[in-house]
Amino acid sequence: MRQDEKLAEILAPIPPLDKDGTLTGPAWEDAIKVFDAVLEGGKDRVAALAGMVQEPDDGRDYKARYALHGLAQYLGRPGKEAPRAVYCEALAGQLGGEIAKGAKGFLARQLQVIGGRECAAALGKLLGDAELHEYAAQALLAIRAGAAEEFRRALPGLKGAARLTAVQALGVLRDAESVEALRQAAGEEDADLRVVAAWALANIGDAASVDAVLRAGDAEPGWARIKATSACLLLGERLAAAGKKPEAARVYRHLKETRKDDSEGYVRALAEEALAALGG
Amino acid sequence: MARKISRRAFVKGAAASAGLFTIVPPHVLGGPRHVPPSETLGGALIGCGGRGPNTYKEMCKDHKVELLAECDVKFGDKADNKRFYTDFRRVLERKDIDLIAIGTPPHWHALISIAAAEAGKDVLCEKPMTRFIAEGRAVVEAFRRYKRIFQIGTFGRFGSSKDKKSLETHKIMRSGLLAPNPGVFIKKGGLKVKEWSGRVNAAPQTPPAALDWNMYIGPSPMKPYVRPRHGGTHRGYWDYEGGGLADMAQHTLDPYQWTYGKDDTSPVEIEAMAAPAHPECVGMWGWVEMKYADGFTLVLESGEWGPMYDRKASKGVSLADLDEGQRKKLDAMPDPEPLLTFAEAVKLRRPAGGNPEAAHRCATLLHLANIAIRTGRKIRYDPVKEEILGDELANRLVNPPMRAPWHL
Repeated sequence: MRQDEKLAEILAPIPPLDKDGTLTGPAWEDAIKVFDAVLEGGKDRVAALAGMVQEPDDGRDYKARYALHGLAQYLGRPGKEAPRAVYCEALAGQLGGEIAKGAKGFLARQLQVIGGRECAAALGKLLGDAELHEYAAQALLAIRAGAAEEFRRALPGLKGAARLTAVQALGVLRDAESVEALRQAAGEEDADLRVVAAWALANIGDAASVDAVLRAGDAEPGWARIKATSACLLLGERLAAAGKKPEAARVYRHLKETRKDDSEGYVRALAEEALAALGG
Repeated sequence: MARKISRRAFVKGAAASAGLFTIVPPHVLGGPRHVPPSETLGGALIGCGGRGPNTYKEMCKDHKVELLAECDVKFGDKADNKRFYTDFRRVLERKDIDLIAIGTPPHWHALISIAAAEAGKDVLCEKPMTRFIAEGRAVVEAFRRYKRIFQIGTFGRFGSSKDKKSLETHKIMRSGLLAPNPGVFIKKGGLKVKEWSGRVNAAPQTPPAALDWNMYIGPSPMKPYVRPRHGGTHRGYWDYEGGGLADMAQHTLDPYQWTYGKDDTSPVEIEAMAAPAHPECVGMWGWVEMKYADGFTLVLESGEWGPMYDRKASKGVSLADLDEGQRKKLDAMPDPEPLLTFAEAVKLRRPAGGNPEAAHRCATLLHLANIAIRTGRKIRYDPVKEEILGDELANRLVNPPMRAPWHL
């Protein structure tokens, strides 16, 4: 029997959609029979199942999507490490193939559920893709293992939204090895990028980046100033928690001296309170 | 001698952190019976559809608020950036706005709440407070850092806190005299499971011209415009809410969370009876059992799918659970402080009854329930670290990544 015919047979017990287009799924014990039957066919059958995902997502392929996601959750159970590796290898392999971008996005989202370090390189290759970089980044951030290396490696070649995504990701990961690249991003033309890069440096708690974060905080009144001020306060907290009191005090003193308008009185008050807590 | 300050300046916080609260007489602060006629606060509504207008009304109760801005991603045909906006960031930039009512879908609640605090505003936010657990902790921290007021848009706990029987239960639960705790609370039905299931076969379309789809999606994964993903039926998609459970459980459970004294903790074991979840659309589930560390059990039973919950029977907590010595100890304990309404909290600069920590703990219940439903696994949770224990994959649902430039 051909793989597609076999898969059609395996997926047949998944119930039809309800009249309103919703899905009243099977009980887990019935679903597991479907999942095990897919896994019995090894990597090729999982890859064939992944190949059934179509674009656009309009419900035609709901059985394949439902089974792939159910498998991702099923393989998260203890004792499923071996089939989990097979599943991840099969999906990661499809990311570099010729399938539709929408399908690749769906597979990346399943790797966000179940993937591990072994998927990082395949996802990393998508960080420059205009349509897929967000899905790849979100999967890498969920996986964590090996993610920082991928973002670090990709960052110099990235522009626009992909660059913004990678800069933010390095901040989320608190990647201390990226501070130089992040300081550069904090001085670039794109206002969103500057604010996100300042936040990333603050979240990392990099003492050598105080000037860069304070510069971002001195933006014209408006959204960028609100968010960059928040980054300044975060950096102050991180530095104080790390015992770097002089650097933290510098941040708070700057806020105290520059937030003179009544509308920023609450920031000035917070800075004064933090300075007092630092002992001066 | 106390320095005279306007109520508006006080709300803005310059006085609060200068320690003036203890020495300024109430009439200077514009207390409940002393609101100077000239002291009107500036208000804005972000997310104007569905519950939005009622959320705004709740925010305005018992104090004077002038509506200065209305913001919605579907206002592309009337946005003038003076009264009507599509981008909440422009609203938060305004210096004349003090209070923000948030009526957007829940995937925006935490980020807008946090940004409002950063901009020095107080917030009344529609329930559920958040889309996932880590958002709630970030809201708690932001409102603590900025000393702003937050109230969740559900109010049943105010009634419970004045009800004699609920008050008695609350005191017993908080006393620590019951160990192990025999209480079992079962919430049956009313969770709109089928009603807010997502449509699996909706085809992508071109978004309406007046709708800013990119801004609507915000921190959630970008997906093509599909009509049911927007406008109330968004509840059926994991990207924005989490079904009837997320829509209704904070409303339903919040009064009981107060009554059972669980405003500062979360369950430690969670188990669900549900169908395997669809990747995008929220689907059917039967029941969820959540056990706290002290033994108290909370059960949600949908009555809409699968077998009924039959592990435990409902069991209230009462004075009958205590011996005479314990009752004497309980009598000697003080009653809890009355809960402050949003208006009182804004005036007094003290936490509201539906404060961030309480609201976050309640939202955590529905998120933990949904994680158990989505993973199909029994999960163990650390209520202090706010992490799922021994299950790194389930833990990914505690703090899923956001789409840049949005982050916690």
